[in-house]
Amino acid sequence: MLRSLVAGVRALIHPSERNAQIEEELRSFFAASVEDKLRCGVSLENAEREARAEIGSREMVRHNVWSAGWESAVDSFVRELCVTARQLRKSPGFAVTAILTLAFGIGATTAIFSIMEGVLLRPLPFLQPRQLVALSDVLVNTKTGHAPGEIGVTAREILAYERYSHAFVGLGGYQRSRYALTGAGAPEEINAARLTASVFPVLGVSPLMGRVFTQQEDSDRAQVTMISYAMWRSRFSGDPKILGRKIELDRKTYEIIGVMPRGFEFPLVQGQLNQNELWTPMSFTTDELSTGNSASWCCAMVGRLRPGVTPEKAQQDAERVAQEIMRDYPAFMSSMHISAIVRPLAEDSVAQARPLIHTLFLAVVVVLFIACANLAGLLLVRVIRRRREIAVRLALGASGAAVLRQSLVETLALSLAGGLIGLGLATLAIRIGISFLPETLPRVESIRLDWHVVLFALGTALLTGLLCGMVPALAAARTGMNETLKDGGRTGSAGSAHARLRSALVVAEIAVALMLLIASGLLLLSFEKLREVHLGFRTDHMLTANYNLPQEQYATQAAIDAFNNALLSKLRALPGVQAVGITSVLPATGNIRNSSFLADGYVEPKGASMNLAWPSQVMGNYIQAAGIPLLQGREFTPADDAKAPLVAIVNEKLAQHFWPGQDPLGKRLRWGLPETPTLWITVVGVIGDIKQMSADAPTQYQIYQPGSQYLASFGKLVPPGSLSAQGGSIVLRTALPPDSMMESLRATVRSIDPQLPLTKVHSMDEALSQTVAPHRFNAVLITSFAAAAVLLALMGIYSVIAFSAAMRTQEMAIRMALGAQRVDIVRLVLISGAKLAVIGVLIGLAGAAAASSLVRSFLFQVSPFDPGVLALAAIAVLALALLASALPARRAAAVDPIEALRGE
Amino acid sequence: MGVSNRELVQGTLEMLVLKTLALESMHGYGIALRIEQVSDGVFRVNPGSLLPALSRMERAGRIRGEWRSTENNRRAKYYTLTAAGRKALEQECRQWGRQIAAIERILEA
Repeated sequence: MLRSLVAGVRALIHPSERNAQIEEELRSFFAASVEDKLRCGVSLENAEREARAEIGSREMVRHNVWSAGWESAVDSFVRELCVTARQLRKSPGFAVTAILTLAFGIGATTAIFSIMEGVLLRPLPFLQPRQLVALSDVLVNTKTGHAPGEIGVTAREILAYERYSHAFVGLGGYQRSRYALTGAGAPEEINAARLTASVFPVLGVSPLMGRVFTQQEDSDRAQVTMISYAMWRSRFSGDPKILGRKIELDRKTYEIIGVMPRGFEFPLVQGQLNQNELWTPMSFTTDELSTGNSASWCCAMVGRLRPGVTPEKAQQDAERVAQEIMRDYPAFMSSMHISAIVRPLAEDSVAQARPLIHTLFLAVVVVLFIACANLAGLLLVRVIRRRREIAVRLALGASGAAVLRQSLVETLALSLAGGLIGLGLATLAIRIGISFLPETLPRVESIRLDWHVVLFALGTALLTGLLCGMVPALAAARTGMNETLKDGGRTGSAGSAHARLRSALVVAEIAVALMLLIASGLLLLSFEKLREVHLGFRTDHMLTANYNLPQEQYATQAAIDAFNNALLSKLRALPGVQAVGITSVLPATGNIRNSSFLADGYVEPKGASMNLAWPSQVMGNYIQAAGIPLLQGREFTPADDAKAPLVAIVNEKLAQHFWPGQDPLGKRLRWGLPETPTLWITVVGVIGDIKQMSADAPTQYQIYQPGSQYLASFGKLVPPGSLSAQGGSIVLRTALPPDSMMESLRATVRSIDPQLPLTKVHSMDEALSQTVAPHRFNAVLITSFAAAAVLLALMGIYSVIAFSAAMRTQEMAIRMALGAQRVDIVRLVLISGAKLAVIGVLIGLAGAAAASSLVRSFLFQVSPFDPGVLALAAIAVLALALLASALPARRAAAVDPIEALRGE
Repeated sequence: MGVSNRELVQGTLEMLVLKTLALESMHGYGIALRIEQVSDGVFRVNPGSLLPALSRMERAGRIRGEWRSTENNRRAKYYTLTAAGRKALEQECRQWGRQIAAIERILEA
């Protein structure tokens, strides 16, 4: 074995040495033969002649000996490669087109997909992530048995689940949080998470520097924090002596005890980019653990399963604890019913991104398909051109296998070259792409080619090459070489089956390209629709900013009220300001809020679940500042303070649903469930519906209250000394462009409290454009795929029409000789292109209809059958296809008939 | 001179060469000559198939070739049977015997 390998390699490296050996042995054989014959008394002349005759063709012998070793196969392969290279050099246009088509297809798809994968679909950066699960409650409606979904866990439950469950090695709770960060650069509000001490051991992640906090620190409410790698680099410029440094979070001093490693993210939401910059101990306050917060599902839990425990088993275990928890429920929650659910963490975090992945992958497949179809078309063209050559080779004695091998070598070489250049392009594109991404993005450094896509793309390319390489051999076997050779140089009528196949490929390309184009058109239209949605308030000339008063400095309600009043009156006095208000939550910016409420005099239909409303606490002239139309009654006034009778303003939808045909003014409602001891609130006004969460979410019931009355409306549930109105969003209705007011807004806040950070200072229009950013991202992504697809399909139709026109040069010449005008020739070629395009468009439209359910989930107020989009896309494809055929048509018409006829 | 009856039975060349070399080491022409003589001129081996077979067997380690001078002071490549070649010969002979016996049974049936 080894000997054969060594000898083979030697023969390959020194073919002349091997040949000399064979030659020498032959010579010695010849000499021995002659000698033997001489001994038998034959004359020298005759002996030599006989010996020569015995040996036969020396070349043949040498060839046979050479073929005995494995190296001959390698040798002939190399030879075939050389032939291929030579042939491709002879038709550089074909080679370059084929390779670039494939390279473009593979490069674009792998690059886009890899970046997406790296940025949005990050794998969980934890130890053995398969054992990690998310634990949550679901609220079961006792009347209907319907569970509306996971709602997280409460503070008290975290302690109970941690203590009483057995299925987990570790279990910890966490809550997303925001802090005003000072003492490290400009004051800013940052994303953070509060964690119980067991979360880090559960995740199995250790810090890059320093340590994580202990159980002791968590229960002692130690003010320590771990910061993210990105924060360490950007705010502390990678200071190696960072440990022990103090920063202010909500004006409380925290000590930095650890820096987390670069790829660490928790909680991790795949498909989203908001990252936490630091992690603090959960250290529940007594308020959070009080009975009053028993119904506040604030947090989430993560756990690591014990070896051998399935999520189902763990769920049974958790369910047992949930039953215990319910037994301890206070009276006002007696009608509530929870149930525990345990799911793999990976599933939990990737669920949201799934439709996006599916769509993307489909787009990748489509673009790749078009690229491969183009390649196939080009290869088939080549096959037809080479039929004669193949026939000659067969006639000269080449075996069918040799012809097949030669043809496969050529097509595979093209596929491989295209694939490799494509990978090069993809690598380059990713490099360039990454440089456009912000550096602080986690895991940017780990973005690389996604090998699944690479293998898929390369495999498809090779398969295309393989299939197309087989065709000539099969064709050669079918059409006898005699006919082909007899056919002479006339190639006009040849290969009608190939022509049909190529036409079919182009039709398919046009069809799928049209489908992508339609999808991108629908997304763009739906994006436009989204921006045109009337949100129920005036977004122009509206400036907003968020603030949050730290509890340390604003410990009393009086201090808070003083700040708010000073802010409102100072802002109102600014030139260019028409109205000022403060709201607890800015509408249409993605904030989800739900509170259950009861309407007086409304009889619930049987089986109805509880009524949920969107609560908003406002100060100043918020309703006027936001530009929400007042339909009935009045706005709040400064007289509606904590001591005054409780009042509320509701939206039109609420008024019409709960008090249809009645005057809503003077009607009453209250928060909570029937058994909750909350106070009745009187409706004093009705205003227009607004889009409370986002433009594409349905309008909910909305209840507005004066900020000063919010706590009072909960009656006994609120412990004395509780504070409200510590923050919110300032809303300024300006006469000037809102951007020009930003500085005076900041200066005003500074004049009251120089240390208070204002966050998200921007015009409402800008805030809205941020909320539609994901939609825009999807639209741009699909559009770029569609552009690539259409471009490739046009290349396909061009090459097919150009080739068939070139094949028909003679026919055209005869037509012209018989009196056809150039216009007729142009029309002839154009029609052949148009035929393909029309069939492709029809199939594409049918395909788009079939795929409508997939697209529908991404659309907003746009039907997947939107006639405008369908028509526009179809017309665009048709027009472009005609354009692609126009070039070959003009070339065909420019043929000099005499030249063409003589040439053949 | 009929060609067909002087051709070797398919697939027996290697066995015959090995058998020939089992007696003594020989060069290519010697092997061809010996096969022809021993078979009383029934089989003739031409270099077009002998030399590739020798090359193949040398690669497989069944025979070893080395350049030596002949009795007439010419250089020739002498082939010697190796241990592996001996084993291969035994195996092929056994198999051949089985095949012959089977063929005879069929013909006599």
